[in-house]
Amino acid sequence: MSQAENTKHLTPQAGLVKLTMLISGAVFALMMLIGVVMRASQGGLLDMEPDLFYQLLTTHGAGMVGTAGLSGAGIMWYFLGRHVNLSAKMYIGFLALFLIGVVFILVSTFVGHFGGMWTFLYPLPAMSAGAWEPWAAAAFMLGYVFIGVGFLLYYLAVGVAIIKKYGGLGRALGWHVVFGKADVTEAPPPTVIAAAAVTIFNTLGIVVGAAVLVASLVNLLVPGFVVDALLAKNMIFFFGHVFINASIYMAVIAVYELIPEYTGKKWKSSKAFILAWSAILLFVIAVYPHHLLQDMVMPAWMLVMGQIISYLSGVPLLAVTAFSMCVYLHGSKFKWDLASSLLVLAVAGWSIGAIPAIIDGMVVVNQVMHNTQWVPGHFHIYLLIGEVGMSFGFMAWLVKSKSQKQSGMGAMDKLLLTSFAAGGAGFTLMFLVSGALSVPRRWAVHMPEWFLQDRLATIFALLVVFSILTQVIRYATGLSRNTAK
Amino acid sequence: MQTQVLMITIVFMLIMAIVFARVVRSVKSEKPLERIETKRRGMIWSMLIVGVIVSLGSLRQWPHSIPTAGSTKSEIVQVNATGAQWYWEIDTTEIPLGKTVVFNVKTTDVNHGFGVIDANGTLLAQTQAMPGYTNKVKYVFDKPGKYRVICMELCGTGHHSMQDEFTVIANTEELGG
Repeated sequence: MSQAENTKHLTPQAGLVKLTMLISGAVFALMMLIGVVMRASQGGLLDMEPDLFYQLLTTHGAGMVGTAGLSGAGIMWYFLGRHVNLSAKMYIGFLALFLIGVVFILVSTFVGHFGGMWTFLYPLPAMSAGAWEPWAAAAFMLGYVFIGVGFLLYYLAVGVAIIKKYGGLGRALGWHVVFGKADVTEAPPPTVIAAAAVTIFNTLGIVVGAAVLVASLVNLLVPGFVVDALLAKNMIFFFGHVFINASIYMAVIAVYELIPEYTGKKWKSSKAFILAWSAILLFVIAVYPHHLLQDMVMPAWMLVMGQIISYLSGVPLLAVTAFSMCVYLHGSKFKWDLASSLLVLAVAGWSIGAIPAIIDGMVVVNQVMHNTQWVPGHFHIYLLIGEVGMSFGFMAWLVKSKSQKQSGMGAMDKLLLTSFAAGGAGFTLMFLVSGALSVPRRWAVHMPEWFLQDRLATIFALLVVFSILTQVIRYATGLSRNTAK
Repeated sequence: MQTQVLMITIVFMLIMAIVFARVVRSVKSEKPLERIETKRRGMIWSMLIVGVIVSLGSLRQWPHSIPTAGSTKSEIVQVNATGAQWYWEIDTTEIPLGKTVVFNVKTTDVNHGFGVIDANGTLLAQTQAMPGYTNKVKYVFDKPGKYRVICMELCGTGHHSMQDEFTVIANTEELGG
């Protein structure tokens, strides 16, 4: 790519995004260290009180989900800034609210000993049996409210900017091309289509999340105010599912924008691409009942819908995003570097992780796999290797110097990539094996017969932590060196 | 069942990993790709056809169906289980072999997960215990012996210790109720 093109692609708020990715990278590393400690404790290698384990598990879950959202938001903001005018003030507001929320959550877990999980499943926050005070649960949920309001601000800025330029979210989704008479050359760029879809479904998700958070907060203050537990669970899992999906659908924009820089082939907004993103918009909203397959009081049609849409969600991922990436890579003869390797690995991880997820989304399988370690097994594949891989691929690209661009992969790059990929694969495989052996998820204390997988997982996790910590340090030092992007 | 699920999953994951490894090597390929959109359409149609077959096969007989009308009432054993932080209250300690057992699962406080595991630690059946609702799950025990009930939904700091057990009896004359 020429210097002129590089200049054209400068994002006005690149500094803010770089800061976002630094925060994300550091928090990812810290949360991974907590993960290692928890797996070591489950494997009998560390002696930890159950209370502390559940606090760490809550911190790990909320921290990872929040950081996945933050890093995805950073990526989307950076590349969307190439196509529309985005407000720096709104982004600063989003970041500030996010960080205030993080402080509330950390105070809640480490000072208030809140251990009710990132899912705050009603009515657990208000009924801890003495493990934490109501104020700690309130602080945790208020932290979520701050983060949620921050994200709503973020999507408001994105939505307004997209509508200003494209004249509506429908046009930004490319519907005038597939449902109207417009030619495919008039379709918005892939980044805009993805951003429009994510803005719609994650705004919906966060609004539903805010409603159930407020209801749970009122329940804390006025215990007589009772919420229907099934309704609350539906709302929580709708919010949680949509939010975590949004993180990876925002992060994949890095693949759409950066892979073309390597292959020299522009990622096109074809009709298949537009239809795929319209399907994603529908599927992300409608698939959440697959989290409630063991709630037999749920209407059967919703559970059937959860299973079928779980499966269908794999179609746009595999037949459009992954397939197109493979086509673009073919014969492009570029020189691999850490950034491109991580981005391609991330799409592979996302696709591979979809397999155990889809299988678990079948009612008949879910009967014996639900809430076993199979579940963290599949979501760690597409979140760790997928979302985190995309984030670190983007970070590696952000700080890539011109000399590195010529040299491709250095020995250290190869070591970091191998350590991340092998560690991630081994770590997640141990979860899947444990799930198949009926090991329940979220148990502070494990049976001795489960120790082998726990200990192997600890070793694999250390490989991942080594890679991620080193990449964060290299990114931080690279930021001061490189100001080209 | 879990072993088969793991094996099938690993096979599909390996196939996918091999495809991606080949794609990485294809970066250096001199041979251009042909009929790309035909292949994409083929992939989409294949996935849809497999999806219809798997969905019909796995949902035709609803996995959560509870025998009621038309069943021989004497063949169905009702067991009530109630979860609370952090113990189970089950209204029987002995269950007959070979009969359809319907567990009616409730909770007095927060959400719990009612999971039944055999002597080898294999999960056989589960359902959620949700405030204000009764979830029902059926199972037919085909081996006598001790079975454990564990909690499958995080319910506070004593979650992992929330366990109980019952015995499946071959000779129904031994049943104590």
